[in-house]
Amino acid sequence: MKDNIFAELYNKLLGFFRQAEEEESAKDVACNRLRVVLMQDRTNLTPQLLEKMRGELVELLSKYLEMDKDALELNLDQEGEQMALMLSIPVIRAKDEAEIEKALAEEEAKKLAETNAEEDEAAEEAESEAEAEEEDLNAEEDAAEAEADVDSEDETPTEVKKFPNKEICGDCRECEFSDDIECEKKNPTQKSK
Amino acid sequence: MSGRVIVITSGKGGVGKTTASANIGTALAKAGNKVVMIDTDLGLRNLDLLLGLENRIVYTIVDVVEERCKLKQALVKDKKNPNLCLLAAAQTRDKSAVTEEQLKDICEKLKKDYDFILVDCPAGIEQGFQNAVAGATEAIVVTTPEMSAVRDADRIIGLLEAKEEIESYRLLLNRVRPNLIKSRDMMSVEDVVEILSADLIGIIPEDTGIITSTNKGEPIVNDEKSLAGRAYMNVARRIMGEEVDFMNLEEETSMVAKVKKFFKGLMGKEK
Repeated sequence: MKDNIFAELYNKLLGFFRQAEEEESAKDVACNRLRVVLMQDRTNLTPQLLEKMRGELVELLSKYLEMDKDALELNLDQEGEQMALMLSIPVIRAKDEAEIEKALAEEEAKKLAETNAEEDEAAEEAESEAEAEEEDLNAEEDAAEAEADVDSEDETPTEVKKFPNKEICGDCRECEFSDDIECEKKNPTQKSK
Repeated sequence: MSGRVIVITSGKGGVGKTTASANIGTALAKAGNKVVMIDTDLGLRNLDLLLGLENRIVYTIVDVVEERCKLKQALVKDKKNPNLCLLAAAQTRDKSAVTEEQLKDICEKLKKDYDFILVDCPAGIEQGFQNAVAGATEAIVVTTPEMSAVRDADRIIGLLEAKEEIESYRLLLNRVRPNLIKSRDMMSVEDVVEILSADLIGIIPEDTGIITSTNKGEPIVNDEKSLAGRAYMNVARRIMGEEVDFMNLEEETSMVAKVKKFFKGLMGKEK
């Protein structure tokens, strides 16, 4: 009977300490919630719109870069009058030219198919719309490409600090540029706390 | 003389705008400046209470605007400090009794005779806020390390940035509790500053002395021993352009706690 009580107490104590270790502190929760809510306040972007924007960004960027899509972080920072969109994505690896071209060609084909389908209904309208869309897309792609260039130059995740445990392992194929980081699969204990 | 017009605002109510106004005004006057405080919270005036001047008010800002008295007649001198006076809000009227233009006009007139004109802003972002901000060129945004206060401060900062007349604004972080920050239960000063990306003008610790000082109608800066009082004095010095280091609240509070404990122990023994 006594043993049981002590064992229970011991477990509870252990559990308590573990909880304290694992649980996010109230202050961190507050900070994170505030950041999200302020971003919405400052831009009139609803969570749904943000999610959509995030999805589209991932789709756009993944034509050029292989990245950790789940770790994509979107933040709006205000400095003085200037508002800046901070996008941080851990880049797994830069795609090579052939891959990029393939992705672009695929997209082009998809678009063509779409326009063909629409042509039957309203040939002229569809065409002009597609053209406009294409122009927009090209502009976006250019911007993205420019950013991708900057990122791939140093060939490391865009923001190492925020994802210290999410870098790519040093033993798989992509790791020629991050060989100082140990493989997660090899050392599962090193996984994020 | 051309005085500086500083509006003290927060968005959220109850974070300590009026307390901050009373203390900063008193501190500036103690340092030898000529200071006038304007309470623009029409219908809900309280600055007179915090300064202990509630029985001396004859005319209010509405009387000035409606020309029942001259501006100088409506200024109530502080009990202790002749450098400090108050232009009280009307208790019987609402926010529409004074317009932005009228407040601007009053500020312009006061600028000639005073070094500092502190405008105590009502809570909210409606007309009362617009009125209070109208005559000011500087702003102090009061907030606390709580989510709702920080969020509202962010709104206010956005509105202040849109105003051309406001040349600068700084953050006053009120009711900081070092113990809670230490245990990671409360956002730290750095967290709030980072989230709002604004410059700090002061950090005021939570102090029970504020309650007694309000009850007595005497701003806490007059008590040089109190931590919050000293923090407010530092704010005033920073407004005047001095460079003053921020207090290390963690150290200060633990010291105070120790001393208090020591004295409490002694008292207990005597009984």
